[in-house]
Amino acid sequence: MLKQFQSGGGGQLLDRSEGPVMAFHEFYRDDFRPREHYLPMWEHIQRAGQQSLASKARDAQLALHNEGVTFTLYADEEAGVERVWPFDILPRIITAHEWAQIEAGLKQRIRALNLFLKDIYHGQRILKDGVVPPELIYRGKDLCREIMDIDPPHDIYIHISGVDLIRDEEGRYLVLEDNLRTPSGVSYMIENRIIERRILPEFFSSYRVRRVEHYPDLLLQALRYLSPRGPADAVVVVLTPGVFNSAYFEHSFLAREMGVELAEGRDLVCRNDKVYLKTTLGLRQVDVVYRRVDDEYLDPLVFRADSVLGVAGLINAWRAGNVALVNAPGTGIADDKAVYAYVPEIIRYYLGETPILPSVPTYQMTDHQDRAYVLDNMERMVIKSVAESGGYGMLMGPASTPAQRADFAQRINADPRNYIAQPVIQISRHICYLDGELESRHLDFRPFCIHGSEIDVVPGGLTRVAMTKGSLVVNSSQGGGSKDTWVLAD
Amino acid sequence: MLSRIAESLYWMTRHLERADNTARVLDINVVHMLESDEGVTEEAQWRPLLTIVGADEGFEDIYPDGRVTVQRVIHLLTQDPNNPGCIHTSLRLARENARAARDRISNAMWETLNEFWLAADRSLRVKLPPWQAAELYAFVHREVATFQGLTQSTMMRGQEHGFAVLGSLHERADMTARILDVRYHLLLPDLSLVGSPLDYYQWGALLKSLSGFDAYRRRYQNGIRPIDVVEFVMLNPDFPRSLIYCVNGLERALARIGYRPNGETEGAMQALREQLRDIQAGEIIERGLHEYLDDLLERLADFGAALQTDYFDAYLGDAS
Repeated sequence: MLKQFQSGGGGQLLDRSEGPVMAFHEFYRDDFRPREHYLPMWEHIQRAGQQSLASKARDAQLALHNEGVTFTLYADEEAGVERVWPFDILPRIITAHEWAQIEAGLKQRIRALNLFLKDIYHGQRILKDGVVPPELIYRGKDLCREIMDIDPPHDIYIHISGVDLIRDEEGRYLVLEDNLRTPSGVSYMIENRIIERRILPEFFSSYRVRRVEHYPDLLLQALRYLSPRGPADAVVVVLTPGVFNSAYFEHSFLAREMGVELAEGRDLVCRNDKVYLKTTLGLRQVDVVYRRVDDEYLDPLVFRADSVLGVAGLINAWRAGNVALVNAPGTGIADDKAVYAYVPEIIRYYLGETPILPSVPTYQMTDHQDRAYVLDNMERMVIKSVAESGGYGMLMGPASTPAQRADFAQRINADPRNYIAQPVIQISRHICYLDGELESRHLDFRPFCIHGSEIDVVPGGLTRVAMTKGSLVVNSSQGGGSKDTWVLAD
Repeated sequence: MLSRIAESLYWMTRHLERADNTARVLDINVVHMLESDEGVTEEAQWRPLLTIVGADEGFEDIYPDGRVTVQRVIHLLTQDPNNPGCIHTSLRLARENARAARDRISNAMWETLNEFWLAADRSLRVKLPPWQAAELYAFVHREVATFQGLTQSTMMRGQEHGFAVLGSLHERADMTARILDVRYHLLLPDLSLVGSPLDYYQWGALLKSLSGFDAYRRRYQNGIRPIDVVEFVMLNPDFPRSLIYCVNGLERALARIGYRPNGETEGAMQALREQLRDIQAGEIIERGLHEYLDDLLERLADFGAALQTDYFDAYLGDAS
C-alpha cells in the first residue's frame, strides 16, 4: 500500500521534514506577497494598525471569557481544569473553488464509509472479496460485535462526522483522520464566527462569507428525520456524560440551540424496549438520542457493566427499532487509524469512484516490512495509537527523545495492531496575530458533515492552530487554539 | 421538563431561603443580645435557635457537655460542616443545584449566585470571629435579595419558575411555623395582658426575625399583643412571610406547573389549605398553638414528600 507513495510524491514528503520553511503558506505566496484572496484582508490589517488589532485581540479574549466558552483539560496535575478557548483574530479563508473540492470529497468519503459499516455489520462482502484484510477488522478494538445484523433507521451509521483535513507542502488538502464517533468542535466553529463578526466587522465587507450558524438547525432536522415515529412529533435529546466532560460546553450549547433536553444517563429509562425521559409530567417517550457518550459507556447491559453514564436497555430499544442512536454504535471501526489506510480502496469498492481527497501515507505495524522501516526511522515519523484521539497516545518523531522512542518501539512490538505510523507532514501555515506581531503558525481544518435525508457539509469548520512556534500539534488538549474560517461564496 | 432539573431548581431556592432565614434569626439574636434582659441566661437566649433550625440533637453530639454559648451556636448554624443545614453548606448546595440547572435560569441569576458563593466560601472557610458575624449576615441578606429580584425580573414564567417558587415558599412556610412555635412556647403569654417591656422586646424579636416588625406596627396600633402577632404571622395574606401567603403562593405555583393526574400533590395541597381555612387567631390559641403548628408542619412535610413522588422521582408506571 505504501509503496505507491514512496515512488511518487510521498517519498518527497519524507525528505522534507527538516524545517517549517517547507510548509505551504496559506497567506503568502512564495514571493511573500499575500495570495490573491487574502489581499483585501491584508489591506484591512494595514489600515487597522497595531493599536487597534491589539485591542481587538483583547476584546476577543474577554468576550470568550465572559461567555464561558471553555473546554476542560485532562492533564494529570490539573485534572478537570476549565480553560478559555484560545482564539486568533485573523480569519482563515477558503476559496469557493477549494471548498467545492472539499465538499465533494467529504460527501464521497462519508457515503463510502457508511456503506462500509453497513457491510461490516451485515454480510462483510468487502472482507470476502479480499479488499480489506479480515484480521484488521477482527482484531480492531472498535469492532462492535453486539450490533451485528441490526438495521439502524435509514441504514445510516455515521450521522455526524468531523473529518480532519490538512494541507501538505504542495497545498493539497489531505484527510488526516475521520472522526466518526462523537466529534467535537462545532460549537467553537459557531462561537468563533460570532466573536469574529463582533470584533472585526469591517473585515467582512470585502468578502462574501458563507454562513455557518444554521448548523444546529440542520442537525435538528437530520435528527428528527430519523425518528421511528415520524419527524412531526419527534422527541430528541442530547445525551451527555455530564458537567465534568471536556466537551460539556458543546453539549449544552447544542441542546440549547436546538431547543431540546440535555439529558444525562440517569434522566433516561428503558421500559419494554422503549426509551423514556423522566419528566415532571411523567415518562415521555424519546425517539432520537444524539449521544455524546462513547460506545463502551452507552448501555451497561451490553457494554461496560460498570458504566453509570449510559442507559440500561438502550441498545435493545435501538435493536427493536424504537429509538435512533446518533451516531450508531460501532462506527469506531471505520475511523480506526489502521482501517484509515484502506479508505481509498473502500471508496473504489463501494462507489466505483476515484477518491477526491487523498489520505496521508500510512505504515501498518502489522506488516513486517513497514514496521522494520518505521522502527529504523522513528524520528521522522508520527506514530499513533489507533484507538485514541485528541493528541493523546501519540509520538511526534522529530520532537521526541530517545527514551520516548524506545518506549514506543517496545509498545509497537508488544501490540502491533494498536499502532500505525505516518511520515511527518509539514502541515500548512497561516499568519496569526500573537503578542503584537504577525507570526506564522501551523494549522489544520475540521469541517462538519451531517447525514440526514442527504449529506450536508456546513460551509466552514473549525481551524485549529498550533500556538507554539514550529509545533505541528493543533489539539486543544495540547495547547492549540483556533481561528474563524471563512468559506467564500464566489 | 426533566425531573432532575425540576428537583435542582426546587432545592436551589430552598437552600437559599434556608440560608437567608438562618442568617436572619442569628442576626436578630446577635443584635438582641447586645443589651441584657434581666433573668435571661445565655442558654435561654440561644437554645431556641437550635430548636428552630432543628439542630438540638446535632448540638449534643458535637458538644457532649451540652453547654449552650453564643460562639457555639453561631459557629454551628453558620459554618460547622457537621451541621448539614448551616449557612455555608446551604449556599454550597444552592450553587451546586443552580449549576445543574444552569441553562434553565437566566445568566444574570447564575452569575450572581456563583459570585455570591465564591465570596461567601472565601470568608467561611476560616472560623468567623463573632464580631464579623453581623456583617456576614447582612451580606447574605443582600445577595439573596439580589438573586430573588433577578428571579422575579429575568426568569421565564414557565414550569421552571414554578419549581423555583415552590422551593422558596416551602422553606419559608416551614421556617415561619417553627419560629412562631418555638418563640411562642417560650414566652407563654398571658392573653389578657398587653405585653410587659420584656414581652415587647421578645415579641419584637420574633417579628424582626420574620422581617415583619415595621409592617406589624403599621397594621396594629395597640402595641404588641400575642394574639395579634399570631394573626399577623399566620393569617395575613399580604405579609410575605405569613403562612397563608406561602400557602397561596404554593397553590399558584402548582397551578402553573400542573398537577399530576392521580398524584399525591393535589391532596397534600388541599390538606394545607384546609388547615388555614376560616380560622381566627383566638381559636388557634384556644385549641393550642403548639399542637396546631405541629399539625401544620406535618402537612408541610407531607407536601414535600408528595412533590418528590409526583415530580422528582419519575413514576415508572407510566410506561406502557
